Amino acid sequence: MHMNFSIAPSDPTPIYRQIVDQVRRQMAGGQLRPGMELPSVRALAQQHAINPMTVSKAYSLLESEGLLERRRGMGMVVAGQGAHRAVDPERLLAPLLQALVRQAAELGLPPETLHRLIDQTLDNTSERETP
Amino acid sequence: MTRIAIEARDLQLAYQRKTILNHLNLAVPEGAVLGLVGRNGAGKSTLMRCLTGLVKPTQGSCRIGGYPSQDLADEVRERLGVVAQTPDLFEWLTGEQHFEQIGTMYRDWQHDRARALAAQLDLPLLTPARALSLGDQQKLAVVLALGHDPDWLLLDEPVASLDPVARRAFMRALFDRVEREGPRTVIISSHLLSDLERVVSHVAFMRQGRIQLMDAWDVLAEQVRCVQGPEAPPPDCVLAQTADGRWIVDLRRAPPGMHGEAMNLEDLFEGLNV
Repeated sequence: MHMNFSIAPSDPTPIYRQIVDQVRRQMAGGQLRPGMELPSVRALAQQHAINPMTVSKAYSLLESEGLLERRRGMGMVVAGQGAHRAVDPERLLAPLLQALVRQAAELGLPPETLHRLIDQTLDNTSERETP
Repeated sequence: MTRIAIEARDLQLAYQRKTILNHLNLAVPEGAVLGLVGRNGAGKSTLMRCLTGLVKPTQGSCRIGGYPSQDLADEVRERLGVVAQTPDLFEWLTGEQHFEQIGTMYRDWQHDRARALAAQLDLPLLTPARALSLGDQQKLAVVLALGHDPDWLLLDEPVASLDPVARRAFMRALFDRVEREGPRTVIISSHLLSDLERVVSHVAFMRQGRIQLMDAWDVLAEQVRCVQGPEAPPPDCVLAQTADGRWIVDLRRAPPGMHGEAMNLEDLFEGLNV
C-alpha cells in the first residue's frame, strides 16, 4: 500500500483527527481515488505503534461521512464519485484561516490590513507562478 | 454502557503519618488504555500496588474485573499482568529459565509468543538477569507480563530505560492479542508523554494522592484549552492557572465562544502541576 500517513503524537490535534484530515486532503488532492484501498486498521496501527481503536475511530468517522466504504474481504476503500464531492476544499482550509485570523488579532492587525496582506500574497504568488 | 474493568473507591493510604492516597476514586472502562501521569511522589506506584493487591489501603477498596484486589483467586490472578517499577526478577536465572519457572505457572503461557516478543525487543534470553542492562531487565519483565496474554495489564514505568526502537516494539505488543473474548484493559504510568499519546485511550492526571482530571484523551485534546486573559474565565470551567497567568479551561463547562490554544499531553501535564 503506497498510502502514507504522518502521525505526530505531540501535535495537540488528536491522532484520529490527524488521520481523518489526511484522508480528506489526499482525497481532495486526488492522491486517493475512488475504489482505492486503505491500509487495514491493524496494519496502520502497527506501522505507527498507535492504538488500533484510534484508527477504527478515524475510519468509522470517514465512513459515516460517506468518504469511505467498508468492502467485504477488502477492508476500507475510498467511496465512489458522489462521495468524492463531499470533500469540501473550503472546509479543509478553515483551521488555517482561523489560526491566521487569531494571530492577526493577537498582533493587533485590523481586518482591513489582513485583507490587504492576503490580496498582496495572492498577487505575488500568482505573478511568480504565471509563466 | 461500558463495563468498568479496574476500579478504586475512596482509596486512602497513609504511611508514617503522610497521606499517599487521598480519597482517590478511579474507574477504568473495559478495553481502555489508561495513561497514569503525575509528578514523582504523586502516588502512582502506590495506586498501582493497591490495584494489584500488593498493598492494603488504610481505607477504601479496589477491584479488578469485579473481584476485590485484596483477595484475588489464582484463576483471576492468571489473567493479570504486572510490571513493577523495579523489575522483579531472579538474578541468577536467564530469560529462558524465567519462562520455564514463572511462565509455566500460568495456564495460558505461550513460550513461542514470549520468544517472539523477546526477539522484537532485541532481548537476549541466555544471559542471567544480573548480567543484563537495566533496559534489558525491564524488557524481560515486560515479556513475562505479556507472555500469558493477560486481560488486565498494569505497567509502572515499564519503558523508562528502553531505547526508542524497543519502546515502539513494546507499544505494538500492548495490542497484540490472541483471539479472546473482550478487549484488554491497560494502566500504564510513564513520563515519556509523547509515547503515551500514541497508545492511550484515556489519561488520568494524578497529583498529591488524588486523580485531578481523567477522561478520554481525544476529548481532553479537543475540549481543554489554554486561555489568555485579560478577564478571568468563570471559575466553574477553570482547571488550573498556569505559571504565566493563563487559564486552563474545560470548554464543555465554559460559556460558548470561548477559545484558546490547544494543548498536547506535555503542555497539559505542566499546566496542571504548577
